[in-house]
Amino acid sequence: MTQALYEQLLDRYPAAAKMSGLKTDNERYIEIDSEYIAEACMFIHQPLERPLASLFASDERLTSGGFALYYVFAIKEEHSFLILKAVLPEGSTVFPSITKDIHAAHLYEREIQDLYGLIPEGHPDAKRMVFHANWPGDLYPLRKDYPTNARPDFADNKQQFVRVLGTGVYEIPVGPVHAGIIEPGHFRFSVAGEPIINLEAQLYYVHKGIEKLAEGCSIEKGFYLAERISGDETFTNSLAYCQAVERIAGVQIPLRAQYSRVFFAELERLISHLGDLGGICLDVAYGFGAFHFRMLRGWCYQLTEPVCQSRFLRSVNKPGGLRQDFIAGNEELIIEYMLRVKQELCEMVKILKANSFFIDRVENTGTLDIKTAADMHTVGPAGRATGIIGDVRKDFPYAAYERLNFSVPEHKNGDVNCRMNVKIEECFQAIEMIRQVIDAMPYGPISEEIGLLEPYRYALGYTEAPRGENLHWIMTGENNTIFRYKVRTPSFCNWPALCKAVNGNIVPDFPLINKSFNLSYAGNDL
Amino acid sequence: MLKALKKIIQYPRLTIGYPATSLDTEFITGRPCIEASLCTMCGECVRRCPSGAIVFDRPKMEIGIKLDECIFCSLCAELCPSKAVTMVKEFELAERSRAALRERTVVGEPSKIEEISISGEAGTEGESLAALVKEVKEKSTKIFGRSLQIREVDAGSCNGCDYEINALNNPFNDIERLGIHFVASPRHADMLLVTGTATRNMEQALQKTYEATPDPKLVVAVGACACSGGIFKDSYATRNGIDCIIPVDVYVPGCPPRPQAIMYGILKALDRVK
Repeated sequence: MTQALYEQLLDRYPAAAKMSGLKTDNERYIEIDSEYIAEACMFIHQPLERPLASLFASDERLTSGGFALYYVFAIKEEHSFLILKAVLPEGSTVFPSITKDIHAAHLYEREIQDLYGLIPEGHPDAKRMVFHANWPGDLYPLRKDYPTNARPDFADNKQQFVRVLGTGVYEIPVGPVHAGIIEPGHFRFSVAGEPIINLEAQLYYVHKGIEKLAEGCSIEKGFYLAERISGDETFTNSLAYCQAVERIAGVQIPLRAQYSRVFFAELERLISHLGDLGGICLDVAYGFGAFHFRMLRGWCYQLTEPVCQSRFLRSVNKPGGLRQDFIAGNEELIIEYMLRVKQELCEMVKILKANSFFIDRVENTGTLDIKTAADMHTVGPAGRATGIIGDVRKDFPYAAYERLNFSVPEHKNGDVNCRMNVKIEECFQAIEMIRQVIDAMPYGPISEEIGLLEPYRYALGYTEAPRGENLHWIMTGENNTIFRYKVRTPSFCNWPALCKAVNGNIVPDFPLINKSFNLSYAGNDL
Repeated sequence: MLKALKKIIQYPRLTIGYPATSLDTEFITGRPCIEASLCTMCGECVRRCPSGAIVFDRPKMEIGIKLDECIFCSLCAELCPSKAVTMVKEFELAERSRAALRERTVVGEPSKIEEISISGEAGTEGESLAALVKEVKEKSTKIFGRSLQIREVDAGSCNGCDYEINALNNPFNDIERLGIHFVASPRHADMLLVTGTATRNMEQALQKTYEATPDPKLVVAVGACACSGGIFKDSYATRNGIDCIIPVDVYVPGCPPRPQAIMYGILKALDRVK
């Protein structure tokens, strides 16, 4: 059907030129005249089946003659990505906004406006996002002519927030420095009495300019930047980066490396979810549960160090495979730990679910409906909790996932309880998959040579991070460097969903709802 | 309820002995170490170090690693053709100054560090100020020596350091046994534990948090980003380390430093370890 869709698009827009920079079949690129791009997007887009998975700009004024926009659609039924490219006419800094029809485009367009100075024409709420009031109005750091280390003087603009007006409505500003040991973000609650009417999250406090830092640096260094996008998603981000590089190089990595990557990715998921479960317990003041889950998480860290000498799975991956054969010789240790965690988790879940006080707090709290979730392209456990059926490991299999037997949890209610249940089930699935990996992985080489990459080739790297669909896109530059690195982590998609989910809930439930999503600020802000 | 009680009895005590007893370092990746006698000065590690932490002077045959900038990725150990670089197990790396983290660097400072402007002005006024600062420091360590309240501030980290700070409160490390508590507000704090590079958007918040913390106070910079900007230095959106914004008492290198390394740094700021 994608084939047909692809052909249909070519028929519809005869001016459209075919593009293909890739040897793989599940990533097709079509260039469309910027005049027709909005219409073409509408033609493809369906919220659940063909969502807009990413949208980004690239300064190709020297190579393509103008700013380029890439619209990435995930065509789930065909297990492939369809990417529309539009190059703006020379000198033009205006592009048509598609936000009114495709809500998921909302934040991408604002991001492009901030970083490239391209104006999304017709955007309903095109205020600043990445830069706060301290950034001067007319500087756009992701343009190629902006030097990476240029730090302009602080400007004194006015920050805009949504105001809710009415009798008894007041605002509660929270952050950026919070009470707990968490990342910075500013939340503005508009409330009347207890329930939240509107929540506006101002993020980007930890914006470090990763995408700009990556430009011009070597493929090797880019890997270390990717590892440091979000600390607790180190492996999955490094994996997405490596997969993009490997696709550009046209390299198939050895089977043992593919299985090993599944092991590390699932271990990371297990660690992340155990932390979330502990956090949910803590935020309903259930201390026993919180500390017990912290113990389980601690056990996992006790496993990661003997296996790969890094608590955060850093310096494990590399483009082409793994740094070394970490699993060989550790099989028994891994199985022993997994059995221990599984048994303890089983008993803990029983205790949790038998506790009516606990269930009372999580049930029907922070409900997100499937329509809203689909409109905003909510991904990962948060999406699956609402009834969206989607998982990159199933829809766009990578590494050795195709060879493994696993199921994706399905829930419908979209509340904290469902998100928690999705995570609990994914923990058991992860343990089961690690067991399968240890059983099934063949002996053999652990990495493949990548060699030098041709300039101006591009590819997507995608993984199912613990938080959901994770998409990286790399375009190579001259001399084995990066020309453009676009990172779209699951947190970017899910922050707006969190803001919707809290509506109607009381402010004291916000930490709980927040924890059930457990989004990364660093992964969003880059 | 009964089942929960059973669990509590099943796992009575998990807390490790550190710092009273030493840590089992068998599987730890500590700092990189260059064996000068094996080094051929080929410059491969200098060229490829992702954070530019290795510097050398070929004519003088001198090479060193700036630990404040090192991201502990072990790439240098992997790529060194003459196997002169190894990752040693040492993890108690916290120091009171950035210069101390560069002590093993025999070469001058090629990367600019002039942004640091904390150590008083020159001249007599500067000297008396420095003496005053010293006196206050001595007093404060005396005051905080037995119990300490910490406010954590993420000023632009990847959240790795923050997870490790969180781990200080888990049953294994349980930092409260040392009289150290994390508090919700800077106004209740004696020490700021700062992670991240001090991003542009966090600069003002970090400054305000520092001002809101009552004197005398201590500041500990945790992780490569907070010490020097780490891999994110020289970006339009970051500063090269938090000491560009606020004065720092102790620097804890690492990417991220393990919980015990952070614990060591906190205790070092209190003069409770050597």
